[in-house]
Amino acid sequence: MKKADKKKTIAGKSILSFILILVAVVQIFPLIWLINFSLASSVEMFTKGLLIIPKKIQWGNYIKAYVDGHFLLYLKNSVLINVLAVVLVIFISIMAAFACKRMYWKLRGFVKIVLLLGMMIPIHATLLPNYKIYSSLDITDTLWAVLIPYVAFSLPQGMFLMTSFLDAVPEELEEAAVIDGCGIYRILFQIVTPLLKPAIATVSIMTFLNNWNEFIMASTYLSTPKWKTMPFSLLEFTGQYSSNYAVQFAVMALTAAPAILVYILLNKHITKGVAMGAIKG
Amino acid sequence: MKKLYSNKLVILSLVLPGIFVFIFAILAPISLSFYYGFTSYSGMGKAEFISLDNYIELFSDKNFHISLRNSLFLALGFIFIQHPLAIIVAVILDKLQGKAEGILRCIYFIPNVISVAVIAYLWKFIYNPDFGLLNNVLKTFGYQGQINWFSSDNAIWSVLVVLIWHGFGWGMLIYYTGIKNIDPVLYEAAAIDGANTTVTFFRITLPLMKSVIQVNVTMAIISALKQMETVYLLTNGGPGNSTQFAANYLYQQAFKAFRYGYGNAIGVVFIIICLAVTILLNKMFQEKKIA
Repeated sequence: MKKADKKKTIAGKSILSFILILVAVVQIFPLIWLINFSLASSVEMFTKGLLIIPKKIQWGNYIKAYVDGHFLLYLKNSVLINVLAVVLVIFISIMAAFACKRMYWKLRGFVKIVLLLGMMIPIHATLLPNYKIYSSLDITDTLWAVLIPYVAFSLPQGMFLMTSFLDAVPEELEEAAVIDGCGIYRILFQIVTPLLKPAIATVSIMTFLNNWNEFIMASTYLSTPKWKTMPFSLLEFTGQYSSNYAVQFAVMALTAAPAILVYILLNKHITKGVAMGAIKG
Repeated sequence: MKKLYSNKLVILSLVLPGIFVFIFAILAPISLSFYYGFTSYSGMGKAEFISLDNYIELFSDKNFHISLRNSLFLALGFIFIQHPLAIIVAVILDKLQGKAEGILRCIYFIPNVISVAVIAYLWKFIYNPDFGLLNNVLKTFGYQGQINWFSSDNAIWSVLVVLIWHGFGWGMLIYYTGIKNIDPVLYEAAAIDGANTTVTFFRITLPLMKSVIQVNVTMAIISALKQMETVYLLTNGGPGNSTQFAANYLYQQAFKAFRYGYGNAIGVVFIIICLAVTILLNKMFQEKKIA
């Protein structure tokens, strides 16, 4: 009897492990396939079997991808735009959340709702009119054309998280600071902000994930390479090398690499941030 | 304290940046859309006022109906395929201890951090009839034919598969966190009472995950409604309009068909639908919470 039970749990356990591994294979195999094909030559792709053993590893694919995909320029743009977006979102959302949550004025409830409303507005509906607005202001192809919408569409979530984390900051601390003669700005930036660290981490991660891979706004508002971001390495490339599949695989792998590397390095923090953001939101 | 905390000038300085961004990037474009929605503007030249003509046309526009139907299809696919799978994996993963747990969780989430552009192009290759991964996998199982994954019957399913694959890790992670937040004492009590795994799952795990499931389902429905980027690169709504979505359709109308006015009318209706669905879902789930 006991033996049968044991057998049953072992069988059960191996079925469960099998499910986990199967899902993991489905999730990761396309990426292994991608890297594999990126190191072969285009001719070798039309062979049988799932993976190829290339006769010679074609590092040249990556060199072409790196140079002709403007990899360095687009990476630099992506980093700059995203860091600026994160910093702006954090500052603006902390200030607005503090004013709406802690300070006394008539319209605070209304302003809070208005700022949170952005969460429900689909970005795609603003693509057409924003294109018109940016053209008439002559700011297409500038940093502002992507930075402003990126901040605008990450702000509601940032504001939401900051407001809910502000609840946990004890008001007594602020009262004590007022008695000591601190001004509002000092209270906000030197006393309250350091206490919001977990919220700041969460908002940074969510904002980064939202915007790093964004391309539809960028491709609508930008037409010259000056401020284009990472996804454009790939988008522009496929036209240029339309029949050289291997190089296209290389540029895909290269475009995806920075985000994957950062994710693997910061995996624990990102997991925590996403979970916190989703559950509070 | 109260005096310091009601200084109007300080308050203004704190909320002004937020309000500026909101007006400039959200309010102004929506108002402009509203205006252009009443015109026959092509993108160039003069905008002619045509009152409600765009909206009347949209009402009977077959492609717009297909777009909404496709959003519904995606939402159902997420709810009945992706999410049950994510919950099951999350439950099993929760029982696993040690290093394997962390590694698997990491693997499940990786597709999520990859750009939609890469995902769409990668899957275009996976579906490729000549050297695509999917047909090669079928071949290794002995199937000899070549399936056209982008035929008008298959295309919407192919889109669904990509989206399920891409978003799986996100949903799984949130369910996983929800399960981790359940008090282990409840499981111990159930074990003492002799409940087996299935009973524990249906009587403890699922009911306690209700609010997490509601949040996740809401997000799934809204993302199905807002779908654009993947479809834009993968099929661009084709073949025909079989994989059309509202956001993609308005973009095509404005920038490809040069019907900027009509595109904006679609945009206005699209915003109204998104707002209505979000509010409705929140209302629905809120009432349930009280009951």
